[in-house]
Amino acid sequence: MRAIAIVIEVLILMGVIYCLFMAARLTILDVGFRTKYDRFIRWALGIVGAVLSAFFVAHLTLFYPKLLP
Amino acid sequence: MDPTYLQFWEKQNAFIKNVIWPVSIGSCIILIGLAAIFVYTFWKQHYLLWRLGKEEDCSDRISERLKTFVSVAFGHARFWRGGKEGYPAIMHFLIFWGTLLVFLGKGIRLFSLLTGLSVPTQSTYLLASALSEIGGGLIIVGAAMAVLRRFVTKPSRLDSKPDDHLKYAWVFVILVTGYLIKGYRLVLAGGSLPPDVFSWAPISSMVSQFILVLPSERLNELLVWHRVLIHAIPAIAFFGYIVVSRSSLEHIYLSALNIFYRSLKPKGAIRPIPNFEEAETYGVTEIKEFTWKQLLDLEACTRCGRCQDNCPAHLSEKPLNPKKVIQDLKAHLLTKGGTLLPAEPQPESEPTPLLGEVIPEDTLWSCTACLSCYEQCPVFISGFDKLIDIRRSSVLMESRFPAELKEVFRGMERKSNPWGVEKGERADWAKTLGVKTLAENPDAEWLYFPGCFKGFDDRNKKVAVAVVKILQKMGISFGVLGPEEGCCGDPARRMGNEYLYSMLVGKNIETFEKYKVRRVLTTCPHCYNNLKNEYPQFGGDFEVVHQTEFLKDLLDQKRMKLHGGSSLTVTYHDSCYLGRYNQIYEPQREILRAIPGVTLKEMERSHDRSFCCGGGGGRMWMEEHQGKRINEMRVDQALALEPNVIATACPYCLTMLEDGLKTRGKDDSVKVYDIAELLEKSMV
Repeated sequence: MRAIAIVIEVLILMGVIYCLFMAARLTILDVGFRTKYDRFIRWALGIVGAVLSAFFVAHLTLFYPKLLP
Repeated sequence: MDPTYLQFWEKQNAFIKNVIWPVSIGSCIILIGLAAIFVYTFWKQHYLLWRLGKEEDCSDRISERLKTFVSVAFGHARFWRGGKEGYPAIMHFLIFWGTLLVFLGKGIRLFSLLTGLSVPTQSTYLLASALSEIGGGLIIVGAAMAVLRRFVTKPSRLDSKPDDHLKYAWVFVILVTGYLIKGYRLVLAGGSLPPDVFSWAPISSMVSQFILVLPSERLNELLVWHRVLIHAIPAIAFFGYIVVSRSSLEHIYLSALNIFYRSLKPKGAIRPIPNFEEAETYGVTEIKEFTWKQLLDLEACTRCGRCQDNCPAHLSEKPLNPKKVIQDLKAHLLTKGGTLLPAEPQPESEPTPLLGEVIPEDTLWSCTACLSCYEQCPVFISGFDKLIDIRRSSVLMESRFPAELKEVFRGMERKSNPWGVEKGERADWAKTLGVKTLAENPDAEWLYFPGCFKGFDDRNKKVAVAVVKILQKMGISFGVLGPEEGCCGDPARRMGNEYLYSMLVGKNIETFEKYKVRRVLTTCPHCYNNLKNEYPQFGGDFEVVHQTEFLKDLLDQKRMKLHGGSSLTVTYHDSCYLGRYNQIYEPQREILRAIPGVTLKEMERSHDRSFCCGGGGGRMWMEEHQGKRINEMRVDQALALEPNVIATACPYCLTMLEDGLKTRGKDDSVKVYDIAELLEKSMV
């Protein structure tokens, strides 16, 4: 049950990160950055996203409430 | 009060004061900043671009505009029509009203402490909570329908961009994290939930059943902080995204503006070229020659694709897709527009011509001017007026048009009809009927204006004869212009030849004034639309009635006696110029129903969704090299009902449908008749 709850929490957090990063990428392109930078932006945001997901998994595994007996 | 509930509400108040309020106040400060950025980006990204366009006055009849705005924006009036768009209508309605409810609930709760509404027993607070919860639920259902449609059923009219993935995911994340906050707050209060919790927090109270809590109160409060931030940050960022980016979410305000500033002129009436004699350019060669409202049209398009779903050119595989036309012009405006702004001087460059660079020539000439794109668009965007403007530039500035049109223009210019037949033959059909001209009978009450088809096309002459026989039987006082009648000019205008059009209009108005014409009866919907809606631009001031309205009036007055003939299964084909242009749908059907023996069957595409015959917009005189033949497609739709007769009230449609029946080999078993012919045959 706890593992399932952690997975759900990580999914929600990664949903938040996906939305923020995707929005950042699209906005950067909208405000005038040329599409040739898109590949770099994708990679940069992808790496930061991966680091964040590792952090969320570790953080939740450590601190998420234990099931009551 | 029950001590358990007292504890529950004290806890809720503590969370609101200690966590939610600070975050809400911070969010409000950021939102004020975002509002300022919105004003700046709106000015920079939109307003300045629209200012590139020419003047167009859209500030008249404010109360009518507001009324339309309320019914279309809030009631989704343009979504529901015809019942064919039920799914997307419900989908958008749920998202729209869900969003309004969420904002209403949030707004009340935001100010709850200031106004004392957060006292637990205050029903307003509970109502606000319920509004937010229900609103969120509506959004989730609507967005789930949208996701299912866009990514699973995938109708061909929808094209998906990264932004379309993002907006649904983002809204879902915001709502789920919102429910988690309240769920967490409920469960942390300890003890049992109030018995009425389901009525004011129906979703969060269910979510609270699955939430795990930490062992200490301090840690739990910390977790509430986490949850509030995890909700607030993406929510605020969402507003920032709407404000700064060029996402499809811009439609929230751009479509609203487009609805408010819609044209209140008669539908499909083409704008005259101001100061024609002195103008240096005609029509639209480059993007800044559109009016500001036309540029707003481009930006307001959300790519819903309703226009392409009913466009005869697109459905018959011609190189014209109205959605693509608008989107291509929009993309051009966004890329090219910035360089045209006076505030941002750019190196001198050649203006980019729209024709060829943005709109291919085949696309330009594929439009049948059927007005379906405008009629189907939920926010009143028209593709056809832009194409007509580009046609004007092509014809008048460059003399560039399909070769077939050369003779048509020449015929209209020299003989005042598209075929170039001698003017003197125009009224030959009436010779044996004893019809007088206005020169012979200047006191006639009505001018019967049959139009070029009735004057020169053998098949359509029979319709004019039928109309005249009815008028004579009914004792109507009327006359014709005979050889003095000229082409109304509709094909010339819609083919972009405004010069020729204004010349034809001028001659006709002069003739009308000569005979002091006050009431005009037409049989051709193209003439009807022109005389009624476009001649006033040139000073034409007379009452114009189409034969179907006129005949329906005669029927209503019980002046006609109809007898039963053989039973006929009839399907009625709506003319674009009577239907979509002038909203005349029912008189024709009522006439048909009044004829004994007639069983009327409706085609699937009828009324405002009717399928064009393919002859409008000058297409009658152009070759159809690409794709399927539009008239054959329409005939197939009619033949599916196994009718004996296809009825219509337009000479263009009659000609196109008869041609379609011939190529389908059905011209012996199925006939095309004008309504006047059917009525005249059944008269005693």
